[in-house]
Amino acid sequence: MGERERLKELLRAKLTECGWKDQMKAHCKEVIKEKGLEHVTVEDLVVEITPKGRALVPDSVKKELLHRIRAFLAQHAT
Amino acid sequence: MTWSASHYSAIKSSHTEFPMKMEDMPLSGPDNTKLEALVHDIYSELVEDACLGLCFEVHRAVKQGYFFLDETDQESLKEFEIVDQPGVDIFGQVYNQWKNKECECPNCKRLIAASRFAPHLEKCLGMGRNSSRIANRRLASNNNMSKSESDQEDNDDLNDNDWSYGAEKKAKKRKSDKNQNSPRRSRSLKHKNGELGGSVSSESHKYNYNTGISYETLGPDEVRSFLTTQCGVISEHTKKMCTRSQRCPQHTDEQRRAVRVFLLGPSAPPLPDADAVAESDSFDIPDGQTVMSRLQWEDSPDISPADSASSKASINHSDPRRPKKKKKTPLSLNSVGGSGGGGGGGGSLTGGIISSSSSSSQNNISLSTKKKRPKLPAPSISSIYDDLN
Repeated sequence: MGERERLKELLRAKLTECGWKDQMKAHCKEVIKEKGLEHVTVEDLVVEITPKGRALVPDSVKKELLHRIRAFLAQHAT
Repeated sequence: MTWSASHYSAIKSSHTEFPMKMEDMPLSGPDNTKLEALVHDIYSELVEDACLGLCFEVHRAVKQGYFFLDETDQESLKEFEIVDQPGVDIFGQVYNQWKNKECECPNCKRLIAASRFAPHLEKCLGMGRNSSRIANRRLASNNNMSKSESDQEDNDDLNDNDWSYGAEKKAKKRKSDKNQNSPRRSRSLKHKNGELGGSVSSESHKYNYNTGISYETLGPDEVRSFLTTQCGVISEHTKKMCTRSQRCPQHTDEQRRAVRVFLLGPSAPPLPDADAVAESDSFDIPDGQTVMSRLQWEDSPDISPADSASSKASINHSDPRRPKKKKKTPLSLNSVGGSGGGGGGGGSLTGGIISSSSSSSQNNISLSTKKKRPKLPAPSISSIYDDLN
């Protein structure tokens, strides 16, 4: 398992923990109701969801993730 | 500059490999800003990845139809709200409902209180510890005395306290009934009789341990001692004597007196304490079921002795000089002179009731010889009785 996988897991756990996932699901529901249950595509969802998802990530999670990435880069740069 | 940028783009295009590529990155020097940008890029990459995963998840749920399953409306929320009231469970139901539930017995179709259903079923179906004992006894008695099955059934019904019919019965009565019928009691009774019977203890197996004693199996001494302590009224169903106390509520004093007169002769002792000695020599078990029933059902004098079964073999009957007879004409059955014994009117005079030798020849045929005392199988009697009617 590479570092990327590790970070991804970490991020997913953190986001679920802090309620980001529930918020996103609620948002998804709105979008789906708006579009109609039958006509929703993955592309629609991605377009609608991603900006919101990016904005909703808590600062603490973002900070920790950035820190880890930076540390990893520094460790492997030399 | 461009060198690192190209590296960065390589990372972006194939991020699975970025850990390896990282190693080549020159991060020292003044281009710290570049590094920051790189870090942010990686970060947004990861976030987008998470979003994409979520999108796939949601999309699949929607297409499979389970995305909105956890949604509930206010109505059902109200309906399934947890009830918090005293005396009621969380669904709002009264929790001791089962108390007055009744079950129908699949065997005898009666309604039985749920709490008594298992014991009843055990008895009814003839399974379980006690019932197997009862069943054994039933088999034994069938072989022995050719009792009909229905007789025993009646018996069981009498003993069955599970019958919800009696639910309103007074607790006191129930209790006493139970005591009377419990195996323990009958066992002790048997013991007592065995003791009193003395030499005839070998015959104790003939007693019906269950509810009563077959008077046919008792010797005169036994009968007397039995009657001094027990009620002794003979049931018309089971032909057994009641084993309860002399004040048992099921039978009247009238019935008790009649039985005593019948079994012990007219000089039978008064009810409360019997000590008088009946003439033991001539005494024996009377042969007629007809006599019994007449005694029980008290004084239906319209049936003359001539009607009785044994009168078929009659030689002389209704001798007016019989000393022992007080009022019961049916008892004059003894006047049926035995083929050997009586020989004349005078002979029957001495017979307190009926001497064993004087039982009619017809009945003698059916008498089983295996018992010490002559005993009349019920079927033969009843058939005679049928003939009369």
